[in-house]
Amino acid sequence: METRDKLIQVIDLEKHYNGGAIKALDGITVDIDKGDVMVVIGPSGSGKSTFLRSLNLLEEPTGGAIIFDDVDITRKKYKDENGKWIKVNVDIHRQKMGMVFQHFNLFPHMTIMENMILAPVKVKKLPEEDARKKAIELLKRVGLEDRADAYPIQLSGGQKQRIAIVRALMMEPEVMLFDEPTSALDPEMVGEVLDVMKQLASEGMTMVVVTHEMGFAKEVGNRVLFMADGKLLEQGTPAEVFEHPKHPRLQEFFSKVL
Amino acid sequence: MDSFIKAENFTKIAPYGSLFWQGMVVTVMLSIFTVAIGFVLALILSSMRMSRFYPLAFLGLDKDGHQKEKGALVAVSKFNPLSFIATAYVEILRSTPVIVQVAIIYYGVFGSIITLPSFTFLGFIKFERFFPGVVALGMNSGAYLCEIMRSGIQSIDDGQSEAARSLGMSQFQNMRYIILPQAIKNILPAIANEFVVIIKESAITYTIGVQDIMSAVNAVRGATFIIIEPLLVATAIYFCLCFPTSKLIAYFERRMSRGDKR
Repeated sequence: METRDKLIQVIDLEKHYNGGAIKALDGITVDIDKGDVMVVIGPSGSGKSTFLRSLNLLEEPTGGAIIFDDVDITRKKYKDENGKWIKVNVDIHRQKMGMVFQHFNLFPHMTIMENMILAPVKVKKLPEEDARKKAIELLKRVGLEDRADAYPIQLSGGQKQRIAIVRALMMEPEVMLFDEPTSALDPEMVGEVLDVMKQLASEGMTMVVVTHEMGFAKEVGNRVLFMADGKLLEQGTPAEVFEHPKHPRLQEFFSKVL
Repeated sequence: MDSFIKAENFTKIAPYGSLFWQGMVVTVMLSIFTVAIGFVLALILSSMRMSRFYPLAFLGLDKDGHQKEKGALVAVSKFNPLSFIATAYVEILRSTPVIVQVAIIYYGVFGSIITLPSFTFLGFIKFERFFPGVVALGMNSGAYLCEIMRSGIQSIDDGQSEAARSLGMSQFQNMRYIILPQAIKNILPAIANEFVVIIKESAITYTIGVQDIMSAVNAVRGATFIIIEPLLVATAIYFCLCFPTSKLIAYFERRMSRGDKR
């Protein structure tokens, strides 16, 4: 297993509310390796979205560790080898993690082009010309280059989500996090978004995907995680998990969704 | 039967036209300075209210640098003195009448603690009465504008901030490029309303001797014993000030609503 290249190490991650009365995440330990397409499935309320949102600290975990680039980003500060306290800069880590949301969260007051170049220009200080070129390239990949000057409200849900994906790609992230990217879409638009995600996976992008699309999990995922009640109950390759579910909760889940 | 309004009364009060003119200038000046003070104050207050300044945060961390889950220290660590001060200010100013605030500022602060130089500017505006009036009105509208700004910012969907932060933008960049442009558009109607309220509310400063439109009405009434007609003139002047103000802001509102239509 040493050949695997660890990107994010999640160790005993906990998210408690009300001083421990509610455990949204109850000790999750998992490694995310470079090139992984990790699909997280589970019933609603199982904590899978919380898990995903914890990875880039949109939710603040109450315990455990997330090691990313050798830094435990769940801490506000840490001691380096010289014993000096260093503040953890979450913004820098977030730049390396792209995130796609269920409700797209495009910026409605900006055109598609402005949506895409804002962060690279303002955060990464990329020259605007270069950012525009890159945006056009990415828009071509998702077949939306003619909509660069449209506003988000003029697009369909599927188009918005494709834009949201390439907007995240503009920052050249090391990992892409997808939080139920197709759940808010009309059924006929799910396919176009999944196609973009498949293409991304085939290019070797590391992805963590929370989804209800079991077909996508089987076909594209190389690892499947099953979560329930804030716990990681089963994980394995799609073949293992889908053909031979071991945990009774997983068997029960499949009997409902498959 | 006597009619309610007499045409000849307008001719009788016509010689006092310059009083109304001066009153209108004073009202306009009062409103402009009040809006300026109120706006700056509201910016400061609302950013204080929404700040994440926790000077005692270290009390809530355990020895690894993690946030602790419970205990009295956790509550103490979440104390934000800036937010506390701003909230207290807003609640006090909103829960007391403007007429009292104006009186306290004029008779209290500038009557005993600070002595203002006594001079007139623009020919007829008495500084030592005008200035306390502006300060009191500005402090009052600052509290209201603060709440308008806060509600505008908080009305923006959390997803917008999450998207901005997940792209690596700092809290400041998120405010500057994502939240404020959307929030300002949403609060323009409320701001227009507040501006109009300020113009009308400035009439209260006549109680401390500022010679605005209402003071002109009283001067004319004292000199001629005519009441209704001066009030009608004042009504017309106030309307001519307030109506264009709200129309002007409505124009900006339309201009900012690109991205709303298909």
